[in-house]
Amino acid sequence: MFNELYAAASVPPLRLQQYNSLLESCGLKNENDADYTALLYEGDKLLACGSLKGGVLKQIAVDKDAEGTGACASIVSNLVTEAYRRGISHLFLYTKPQHERLFASLSFFPIIKTPSVLMMENRKNGLKSFIDGVPKHEGNNGSVVCHCNPMTLGHLHLIRHAAANCDQLYVFVVSEDEAMFPFADRLELVKRCTSEIKNLTVLGSGSYIISRATFPAYFLKENADIPRVWAELDLLLFAQKIAPPLGIRTRFVGEEPFCEVTRAYNERMAELLPQNGIAVDKIERLDQISATKVRELLKAGKVGEIEPLLPGHVYAYCKNRFK
Amino acid sequence: MQIIQAGFAGTMESSDIMIRLEPKDSPGVELHLTSSVMQQFGKQISQVILSTLADMQVDGVIVTATDKGALDCTVRARVCTAVHRAANSENYMWRTKA
Repeated sequence: MFNELYAAASVPPLRLQQYNSLLESCGLKNENDADYTALLYEGDKLLACGSLKGGVLKQIAVDKDAEGTGACASIVSNLVTEAYRRGISHLFLYTKPQHERLFASLSFFPIIKTPSVLMMENRKNGLKSFIDGVPKHEGNNGSVVCHCNPMTLGHLHLIRHAAANCDQLYVFVVSEDEAMFPFADRLELVKRCTSEIKNLTVLGSGSYIISRATFPAYFLKENADIPRVWAELDLLLFAQKIAPPLGIRTRFVGEEPFCEVTRAYNERMAELLPQNGIAVDKIERLDQISATKVRELLKAGKVGEIEPLLPGHVYAYCKNRFK
Repeated sequence: MQIIQAGFAGTMESSDIMIRLEPKDSPGVELHLTSSVMQQFGKQISQVILSTLADMQVDGVIVTATDKGALDCTVRARVCTAVHRAANSENYMWRTKA
């Protein structure tokens, strides 16, 4: 019998139950956030499934009876083609470590492994070329990873403190684009506000630090049920693959009283990084200053009230952009 | 032909090959081949990919190829299509030397 592939932006109700039970039988959960889903049938029987969310292939499952028939290859082939068609060429997936060979045969290369999850990408040496592109400095270096959405006096305080306490400070600004403050502008503002600090390298975080690929929960904050495993992968990737070649020994972070996801992430950081030889230096937050508050004030049209929260360059930018 | 963007062709289904090309900052061809018949035909497939690229005067490219037992003619056709897409050209030159 011929296998038939059904693919669509969302799964229609008639097919949904079958899809969910196949996922369940493979120990996966439908996270209901896919951009695109492919289902492979033999007659009425669902053999395999898989979804695409941005550049991440997810919820790939194969019925036990269809293992070894190329069903997984058909699904991955379809998802990859769709991603390329959408102009996304750098792809990631997560799978159980025992499936490494299967996905390796589909040209996915391992990035990092925990006992329960393996993260792979479709570029050989993708992570290496990211690291190769970062300028190197000898010494006891430090790092700040921040969204700076937009940069506040709190971020500036953190960066100044960090730069004063290490030889070279790498500031990674989260690269994912957001509607209110595009990445290019956020990066430029960080550079402008910190131009007086000499031992500083400001970079985009790329796909490997707090990206939709390494830590999707960060970008779905309304979801209170945060899978611990995402934070773990992101932090282990940082500790084991990114920090060592850059001589990063300390990660500096601000206290997080507001956002639950960030707080959970920071708590996990305080456990995991020291176990991997990276110190965590947490500093107190400046009273009443947060980027969330700035965004809320801007949304409410209160441009006049944000000035005390922001460095001059950022205030000028906001005044100009949101007047 | 000049590779100016990512381009792909083919599938990862049995008897096919998926070719993905990306621009490379430096000259040369960087080939990453995965094949279900690597032991028997890995060398031959690599050679077909490289010679097709050479015939089309393509340089400075990263090639990721996922082969599922494609015949030489399929390999050549997929590479040729991927090159045109990656070069953003519709000026098809199907008849390479080979």
